Amino acid sequence: MESFFVRYRNLLVLLVLLLAQIIGLAMQVRRTVAGRMVFSGDASDGSGVRLIRLWANWVVSPPERALQSSKTGVGSIWSNYFDLLHVRQENKDLQATVDRLRLEQAALLEDARQGQRLQALQGFQQKYLYTTVIAQVIGTSGSDQSRVFYIDKGRDDGLARDMAVITPDGIVGKVREVFPHTAQVLGINDQSSGAGVILESTRIRGILRGNAFGQPQVVNILADQRIKPGERVLTAGGDQIFPRGLSVGTVQKVVNDPDRDGFIEVVIKPDAHLDSLDEVMVITSTQPRFSDAQMKDLAVSQDLKGAEAAALADQQRASQVMAERLPGLTDPNATPPAANGAPAGSNGAPAPNGATASGGVTVVPKILPPQHADRFTPGGAQASVPGAGTQKSAPAPGSNSPNSPSSGTPPSEKSPAPKKTAQPGAGSNAAPKAASKPEAEPHSAQPQEKP
Amino acid sequence: MAVTMVSSRRDLEIHRYPAALYLVVMLVALVVQALLPRILQDRFWFDIPLVITIYFALARRSPIAGMLLGGVMGVFQDALTGHAIGIYGIGKTIAGYLAASVGVRIDVQNTIIRVMLNFSLTVLCNAIYLFIYRVLLGMEFSWNWPNTLIQAVANSILALFTFPLLDRFQVKD
Repeated sequence: MESFFVRYRNLLVLLVLLLAQIIGLAMQVRRTVAGRMVFSGDASDGSGVRLIRLWANWVVSPPERALQSSKTGVGSIWSNYFDLLHVRQENKDLQATVDRLRLEQAALLEDARQGQRLQALQGFQQKYLYTTVIAQVIGTSGSDQSRVFYIDKGRDDGLARDMAVITPDGIVGKVREVFPHTAQVLGINDQSSGAGVILESTRIRGILRGNAFGQPQVVNILADQRIKPGERVLTAGGDQIFPRGLSVGTVQKVVNDPDRDGFIEVVIKPDAHLDSLDEVMVITSTQPRFSDAQMKDLAVSQDLKGAEAAALADQQRASQVMAERLPGLTDPNATPPAANGAPAGSNGAPAPNGATASGGVTVVPKILPPQHADRFTPGGAQASVPGAGTQKSAPAPGSNSPNSPSSGTPPSEKSPAPKKTAQPGAGSNAAPKAASKPEAEPHSAQPQEKP
Repeated sequence: MAVTMVSSRRDLEIHRYPAALYLVVMLVALVVQALLPRILQDRFWFDIPLVITIYFALARRSPIAGMLLGGVMGVFQDALTGHAIGIYGIGKTIAGYLAASVGVRIDVQNTIIRVMLNFSLTVLCNAIYLFIYRVLLGMEFSWNWPNTLIQAVANSILALFTFPLLDRFQVKD
């Protein structure tokens, strides 16, 4: 028996080692709803596995951080001592740019606030501004089967699992493991990753994950002729990791799913440079927060907006003055609204047509009487009866009584137009132009519609 | 074949190294493997831990040492990825065992043997990874075989430079 173990010692050790690792693998596999045993990269690790990852991180991260900082140090020596030509001018230009951008940002922030209010009204929990932590990429997994990289910020900096990692260009991945001073990020081009995305114009939703070549692709999509290269892809927001509307990339090509008929895979050209990442941003909170600087920018923006509003009011005032001086269809001597809101009318009586300026009732424009009334003129029907066809018998527009003696006078001579007469009871709100006109006959002030 | 077969006691000599060298070389291999892809991006095809595993397994001519070394490096590599722990571990354990077993029988100082061994073990390891991903873990994992072949060639070329360099650290009796 002893000779058996001695003879097959190597093979037995191999079997023991393989068995131990296979058991370890089995412990990391979980059962799916369908009863199938699979390993999910998204599932949290057990304590033992997490411990191994922690050890590996402790071993590898310090040299990586040291190398990164030494690289930064060498770079800073160069940039601080050898690359200072024209720095002052550049600084001035940059300052001007910063000032301009701050103003633009303030305007955008205000729009963002409005957008948030609208979103809140619609019941969406998505937010527009996020709290982020900027991190430096310090290492990778070292395997082309695993698109994982490490950043120099960890739990001590407020990072947690499943936080979205982005760049200004587009999304990058999500935090998979968090260590005290570093974190492991699962790239969107890893085969075990998953992010909900939506095609911008066709509004087709799918799941984004990596393929064997390290390209992100949208899977689980039924074949659709509308999907064309160049279409933009955004985050859909349904995965509870990436906020909705972040840029993902553009459609590069559409290929048939080799495993499933009728399905396609949409290969994406990511907006973020996944192969050459240096700095990334980790979204630590999706709650909108305005920093002091942003609040200051908002105040500046509001001040600017106030000045713009004043200029706009001046323009409106000028246009009103111009409108008063130019001839118009409306009667400038029409009954103006009373200052106290009371209905205008003679002797304080209500206006005949019921129009008031205040109280939410609109002023009905007064219809101007015709200069030469005939039988077709409204209100002149009585004049068209047989035997009364002379012009003298025609009722003067605006006259108190059709049989009034003054009605024999042509309106063009004695009462040329009611628009030149002041309305009794108009008060001080009468147009200045009307006040300068000679006072007209009292009867002409009576409304035409009065029976 | 006379060139490749073990023909003298010198060929069966077990090379020894300072204990610290194992740790340093393993650490450097893991760190460089994690760092270089940032610089070379998609042009980084090497699997440095595998090359180191093959070298020490061949030099020590001990399957157990080769397996342990490969297993430890593989598990550490697994820990740096987001995947299950054991995938690289199993692959490199088998690679270490096979390299040491071959090293007992053939002349591993021969350059062609080293190149062929690195090439074939790299391909084998990748096949093991694929088997584990698809069969043991049930993952829908696609594979880039052209990249695997390029990696095998790259590992072989790397071995041409790394093996003579590490030979310099052998402890002479």
